[in-house]
Formats: sequence, C-alpha cells, structure tokens
Amino acid sequence: MKRTYLGEFEEIVLLVVAMLDRQAYGVNITHEIIEQTSRSVRLNQVHAALHRLKDKGMISSRMGDPTPERGGRRKRIFSVTAYGRQTLRDIQVVRTNLWNLLPSSMKLITDL
Amino acid sequence: MKQRYTKPVPPRWATRLLQWYCASHVSEEIQGDLEEEFDYQVEKFGIKKARQDYIYNVLGFIKPFAIKKRSSSTSTPFLSMNMYKHYLVVAARNVSRYKMFSFLNITGLALGMTCCLFIFLWVNDERGVDNFHANGDRLYNIYQTVRTNSSVTGSYTTPVRYRENRTYIPLADIQAAVPEVQYINFYATGYGLPWGHSETFQVGEKLHKLEGSRAGKDFFSMFDYPVIAGDEKTALADLSGIAISRKMAAMFFDTPQNAIGKSLRYENRIDFVVTAVFEDVPVNSSLKFDFLINWESHMTRLDWASGNVLTTLQLREGADVKSVEAKINRFVQTQLDKNEPFKIELGLQPYRDQYLVANFVNGKPAGGRIEYIRIFSGVAVFILIIACINFMNLSTARSVKRAKEVGVRKVIGSTRGSLIGQFFGESIVLSFLALLLSLVLLHALLPVFNVFTGKQIVSPLADRSSWFLLPALVIFTGIVAGSYPALFLSSLKPVRILKGVMRFTNSALWFRKGLAVFQFSISIVLLIVTMVISRQTSYIQTSHLGYDRENLIYIRIEGTLSKQDKYLAFKNMAEKMPGIALVDRSSEAPHAMGFVVDDQDGVAETNDIEDDAIKWEGKEKGTSVGFKPVSVGFDFLKIMNLKIAEGRGFSREVTTDTAAFMINEEAVKQMGIKDPIGKWISAWQKKGHIIGILKDYHTHSLHEPIKPLIVDVKEYEYFGVIMVRTEPGKTKEALASLDQVYKTINPDFPFAYQFLDQEYEKLYRNEQVVTRLSNAFAILAILISCLGLLGLVMFSAEQRTKEFGIRKVLGATVTNIVRLLSQDFLRLVLISFCIATPLAGYAMYLWLQKFAFKIELSWWIFVLSGGIALCIALATICVQAVQSGLTNPVKSLRSE
Repeated sequence: MKRTYLGEFEEIVLLVVAMLDRQAYGVNITHEIIEQTSRSVRLNQVHAALHRLKDKGMISSRMGDPTPERGGRRKRIFSVTAYGRQTLRDIQVVRTNLWNLLPSSMKLITDL
Repeated sequence: MKQRYTKPVPPRWATRLLQWYCASHVSEEIQGDLEEEFDYQVEKFGIKKARQDYIYNVLGFIKPFAIKKRSSSTSTPFLSMNMYKHYLVVAARNVSRYKMFSFLNITGLALGMTCCLFIFLWVNDERGVDNFHANGDRLYNIYQTVRTNSSVTGSYTTPVRYRENRTYIPLADIQAAVPEVQYINFYATGYGLPWGHSETFQVGEKLHKLEGSRAGKDFFSMFDYPVIAGDEKTALADLSGIAISRKMAAMFFDTPQNAIGKSLRYENRIDFVVTAVFEDVPVNSSLKFDFLINWESHMTRLDWASGNVLTTLQLREGADVKSVEAKINRFVQTQLDKNEPFKIELGLQPYRDQYLVANFVNGKPAGGRIEYIRIFSGVAVFILIIACINFMNLSTARSVKRAKEVGVRKVIGSTRGSLIGQFFGESIVLSFLALLLSLVLLHALLPVFNVFTGKQIVSPLADRSSWFLLPALVIFTGIVAGSYPALFLSSLKPVRILKGVMRFTNSALWFRKGLAVFQFSISIVLLIVTMVISRQTSYIQTSHLGYDRENLIYIRIEGTLSKQDKYLAFKNMAEKMPGIALVDRSSEAPHAMGFVVDDQDGVAETNDIEDDAIKWEGKEKGTSVGFKPVSVGFDFLKIMNLKIAEGRGFSREVTTDTAAFMINEEAVKQMGIKDPIGKWISAWQKKGHIIGILKDYHTHSLHEPIKPLIVDVKEYEYFGVIMVRTEPGKTKEALASLDQVYKTINPDFPFAYQFLDQEYEKLYRNEQVVTRLSNAFAILAILISCLGLLGLVMFSAEQRTKEFGIRKVLGATVTNIVRLLSQDFLRLVLISFCIATPLAGYAMYLWLQKFAFKIELSWWIFVLSGGIALCIALATICVQAVQSGLTNPVKSLRSE
C-alpha cells in the first residue's frame, strides 16, 4: 500500500484536529498540543503543518463565523477528510502490528 | 479594581509587517489566531511575554505558504536556466548594437567606480595609520587641557616641571598609583611629530644624520615595531643603550646581527651601545624614527630640544577608561604645585585616533584629518551616484526601443518580476564590465595617485579587505543604476506600447530632468569647492609673509658650530664666499616657530608676577600674553627683509643694543602698552629697552593668527639655526661654498641644509593633497555629468527626429534647431547653478574658518564655476544638436 508520508508532528496535528471534532482552528489546536504533549509549540508551526496537511488532502477547511474576541475576524475551522482518517487508521494498524511483533522481553520493559 | 482598563494591544509594527507580507487568502485567519493567542497570553503570562511571543510568531510566519505571491496567475518557475541564457544573449546584443550608448554607459560607470575606489584606498590608508598595534585597543595617549582665567588650550604634551634644578615628569610614577596602567611610555617629540631635526651618528669614518627619538623601556612591549636582533625587553632599559632601525644598522654595520653590542658615537659627544635592531618603521606609523635612545639618557644627559613629551599608556585588559582618567587626574593634582596659575586636566585618547583627530577644540581633541576623510567619503558616494544617474538617464533614453521588447515579452507572458530581474541583471553585468575597466584604470593610475598623495598604496586586489568591497560595489552600482529602468520599463502597459508610438508621461520626463539637475548641482558644487580650495592654497603659498623667503637656506647649529669662535669664523668665512649675500643666526627657523612662552607652558609655577618669564613696564598682574620669543643676530632683520613700523632695528654700533628688544605690532596690541619705544622689558634674566616695533610677519603657518613676538639680539648662541641669504640665481655656488666652509669648521658633522621656501610649503602638505584630489574629482564629476547630458540630448533628438525633419522642410536653419535643442538643457544647468551656489558657498565658508588668513569668497568664483559648467554642457549638447540639425529631412521623414 502506498501512502503519503506523514511527519510525526503532522500526525499529532492531524490527531488533534480529529479530536477537536469540527471545533479545530489554529489557536485551540496549538493549546491542545501544548497541553497533551507538553511540547512548546508555536502558532506558526501549527499553521504550517495544517497547510501541509491540507495540501496532502488529509484535512479540509471552511471559514467559521466571526467572533468578537479576535477583532471580529473569522476562524478557519479544520476537519479531517476521509483520506486523513484512513491514513491515521493505517498508521495505527502498522504500529499495532509492529508492537505485536516485539519480543516479549521488550514488551515487559515498556509495560513497566 | 475600578480603574479604567485599556485593552493591551500587540506591537503595532509587527502587525503592520504581517499585513505587508501576508498573502490575502490566509491573512484573516492568521491575524485572528495571533490576536486570540495574544489575548490568551496576556491573561496567562502578562503583557511583556505576550508581546514578545507575538513578535516571534509574526516573524515565524514568514514562510512560503503565508507570503504574498507576486502573481498568483502564472506558476512558472521564477527563472529557468534557459531564460538566464536568453537574458544574457539579449544583454550582449543590446551592448553590441548600441555601441555608443554602451560605451557612454560603461565609461561613465567605470570613471565613477575608479574614483570611488581611489577614495576608498585613500581613506583606508588614512585609517590604517597607527592602527597596526596588536594592543591598539588598550593604548591611550595622554593629552592635557590647560585652563587659565581667559583661555582653554589642549595639546598632546605631558606636563613637565623643573624643581631643584632637575626636570621631572609628574606622571612618572603613575603605574604605582593607578594599577590599571600596565605600561607607560614617554616619547620625546620636537615641536610636533616627528622629532623635528636629524642628529648625527658616527662609527669610525662613517658619518650619517638620522632622525629618531627617545622612548621608555617598555616601548617595544607596547608597540608593534618588531625587533629583529637583540632583546626587546631590555633594549631601552640600559643608560647606554640605543635601538636602531634595520636601515641604520645596514648603514653602519652592514647586517642587523652585526650591530648588536657595537658602539655608536652620538653628536660627537656620547657613545651608545646598540642593544636592539628593529624593523624599519612602516609608512603607516605616525611616529617616525630610525633610532630610539633610552629615556634615562634623555632625562639625565641629553639636550632637551623642547619640553614636549608624548605619553602613551597601555591599560590592563578590561580597565575602564573613564575611571582611569579620573584616577590619573587625582594623582597628578597631588604632584603639581597648588600655586600654579592655571589648571591642568589630563585626558585619554585612544592611541589610534591621534592621527585622525589631532586638533584641539576647547582643550579636547576634536576634528583633524578625519574631516577630510568624511568629506571625501561623501564625495565618493556622490560621484558614484552621478555615474549611476548617468546610467539611468542613458537607459531610459534608450527605452523607446526597449519598450517594444517589454511589450512583446509581457504579451507572451513574462511577469513584471522577471522583467525587473532581467533589467537588474543587465545593469549588474554592465557594472561588472565597468568594474573591470575601472580596475585597469586604477592600476594604470595608481603610481600617479601615490605621487599625488605622498602615500604608498598598493593595488586593492592585494588587500583582503577590498575583496568584500569590489562585489559590493558592483551590486550596489548595478542596483542603483538599474533601479529606474527596471522599475519604470517593467511597469509599461503592453497595450499602449504595442498600439503605437510610446509617449512618456510628464512625470517621467520631470524625473529625468531632476536627475540631470542633481548631477549638475553636484558637479558645480565640486567645481566651486575646488576653486576655493586651490585659491586658498595658492594664496597661502604666494601671500607675502612679511619677509622674503626666497633664496634662504638654514643650517642647524651643532657640533663645534655651537662654540662661539667657530661660529664667528664660519660666519666670516661664508660671507666672503661666492654666491652668499649674508649669514646670521636665529634661535629658530623663522617660518615655523613652535616655541611659545606664556604662563601656560609650565615655566611659571606660581602666581607671583616676579616669576613671570616675560615682564614689562606697566604690566598688570594676571595679564597673560603668549609670546613667541626669538633670539637673533644683528643682521637678522636685513637677511629676512623685515619691515620696521616704529623705532629702529638692532645695530652693532650702539653698545647698549645687546640688551635691547624688539617686539611686533601684535605684541604691542596685546600687552596694552602705550608709546612702547624706550620702555623696559625683561625676558628671563635679561632686561632692556624696547628699541623698535616690527611690522607683523608670519612666524608659523597661516592656520594660526600672528602671535606676539619678542626679539632679542645676540651675536652668538649655542643652539638654533644659521640663516644664509644667497644671491638670486646663484644657489649652486652658494651651496658649494657653504659645503666647503662647513667641512673645514665642523668636520665631524655632515653638511645638511634646508631651503626655507620648501620647508614653508611642507607646512601645507595636507592642503596640497586635498587640492590635488579635489581638482581631480571635480574634473571627473563634470566629465561624468556631461556623458549623462549627452545621453539626454541624444534621446531628445531621437524623439524629435520627425519634428526636426518637418521644421527643416518648412525652412528652419541648423541654428534654429540647435537652439531649440539646447534651450531646455541649458535651463537645467541654470537651475543646478542656483541650487549649488548656496550649498557650496556655505560649505566653503565653514572650511575657510580654519584659517586665520583666508581669501574672500568673492562672487566671481561662483560665476566662473557656473560659466565653466555651462560652457562644457553647451559644448556637449552642441555635438549632438548640430548633428541632428544637419540630418537630411528626407531621411528622417522617409521611414514609417
């Protein structure tokens, strides 16, 4: 199976977009990543990743309604496309398979 | 918390930056996100962190996905390899097709660049002086500021005092008192750098006069004058030690190694042992010496030619200059007498600055050669701009033809960006060609330039620092020169170009005219500046100094000549020899008397009037007059051809004249003395009457006003110079005679002499260099401007070919057409003249302030400069105008 290459950070962003389910936009994606992974992430990095994901067709976007807290500007709301969901699932499957193939000693260590 | 609350806002400039670069389709969401994030951060971490974060974010968004695309419609790669090749071919074709234009373009640029490079070399060389010492950033010169009730003066001298019949330098123990001072060095100077006169050395039969000085034991540790033989640590520590240059070693001992430990006889008086040989002092050192005698000898057993001591400190790593300065001042105050009638304050100046900033204003170093460096750097930039403007004018003139090319390119699908790229590329290629040409010119002219400036500058290609400069010059010139054609031509609308004859808008025409006016203004300014500077210089050189400086030779009194009988024998013998009119003596060479006696030079140490060096009848307590004292022989007035204003000159017949004084008019004025003749005056131990008033004459360079002069008379003195007046046209005989007499009377010293008029001119070396440079640059600027003007006329003639054809058919003469074409351009030159005159006038007014004696800024200088510019411009225009006037109308009207 051929699939588009997905970077590690892109994968996280994609997952968060999926997680936020139709509420995802720049700021809350960033905050969510910071909270969940305790990495220091910048808005511009997230935007860049979102752009790449969009170019790869994994997410789609639409403009939301204007809200007062951002100077009346609209948000761009992202949602995961079917292709994106498929890719995530593929990755998950590959990982699980690999985990299952690990020798049992290794599993024990990681289980601890 | 009922305070009024203003909502914190992100830094405005960052927002603006974002709006500028951000592509429109993403700008809304990015701005929105950023603002939301900002508010969130303010809430959580405070305003400071939030603003910082905002800026980082804005900068972080400068990424391809967020940046505006110049054109969103075409997605071809910006420039492919093929296109590059194509552009080069087009550029080459353009160059070879319009040979005249290309020639004007490249020559203009090359001239401008050459000029720029020369100035760069000169400035670089000037900046390099004294800048080669490894410890340079920790070396400081001490200067003193002397305050009296009436004046503030500054100089590089270090205070020297006499006490208990000993000379001592209050600063000598500074190292113990101020721990930041790592080394201290005293360097004896004459009245100025270098030492002032040469001294005689002898080894066996070899006899040479060399210039050198005296220096402290740490000299070689502080300064980078490499020692090639002997030990630099001990070179100047020993009382009998002397360090000599490679050149001097070769003169006396053949090789440097040979010289160590050998003895040298100094002035036929003292024997010194060579302790070290150092490499010849490089040209970029302001201290020039062929030998250095240790400071101990200077203090204990050598003559003091003057009390001038240059002190240099090397501070320890990390020392704070301001606090060291304060400590030194505190220390010196403890060493000086409290009763001194003036206040001395010491300051530190970085050693490497002393060459460029050596003038004193209000007792602090300010200005000097640095001013010329600034002026010429400015000139370099302006000349380059003139050359660039040429390029612009010429290429827009040609743009009628190129506009079609632009139209076709645009129709085929070229974006504006690639057109701009093409034109910039073309101008950079041209400026690269110009650079090659200018490098050729530079190398051809370098020897002349070195003679001009008296420097030894090498090719910039040999110097690492200019490797950076040359590409920068090409790119700068290319971009400035190409900016107008690139931005203008690329903006043309293809429909309009291709539809018919292209017409330039009024604003474009005005812009080009404006450029021409700018060019000519600069040229006229430079012309005026050149005229004023060269007139001032020639004024200095030819103005009457109050004495006759032609046919005057002077010889320093040294060796046996400082004995009375020998001196008198010399005088009597020489006067009888052919070619010599008169011989007499003076304590100082009369064209540049450096010695000033007043109560500021440290001779007087108290306020008591009885201790003043110079007193006179009716002198009031507290008056201070800076006298130039000179002691001369009886025939001095006759030799110098000095005029007497009142009273009489010295005479051997009047026996009391040995105690007589003469003063000059300025002295009378400053002393505030009425009916001075016959009043008593005393200088040091000698007291006598004033017998005559000399008309003011110049005793030093014309930078300074005439100072009060006091002259006393002595048949003989053990120091000073012998003045010889030769008969006009018989200099050769006179020199031969003098040589002969000198050899018989003073055989241990080589015969060395100076011509007074030549030495006088040396005082103005700086001005001469500047005159020559500014002459050259003014000519260049005019030349380049004319090239530009020629281009404009050619353009205009080309545009109006048909018009002239019709005019000629209807009966216009060649003169009519020439007039028609020239009118417009001459008006431009006139406007430039109006702009240039006040600017140049003001600048020259400021420059002339530096001279105590100066020329008037008369109106004709300005008119003449304007006239010259006008004539040259007219000649240039006529070349083209006549040509188009002579064109056969059949030819110009035939084609369509």
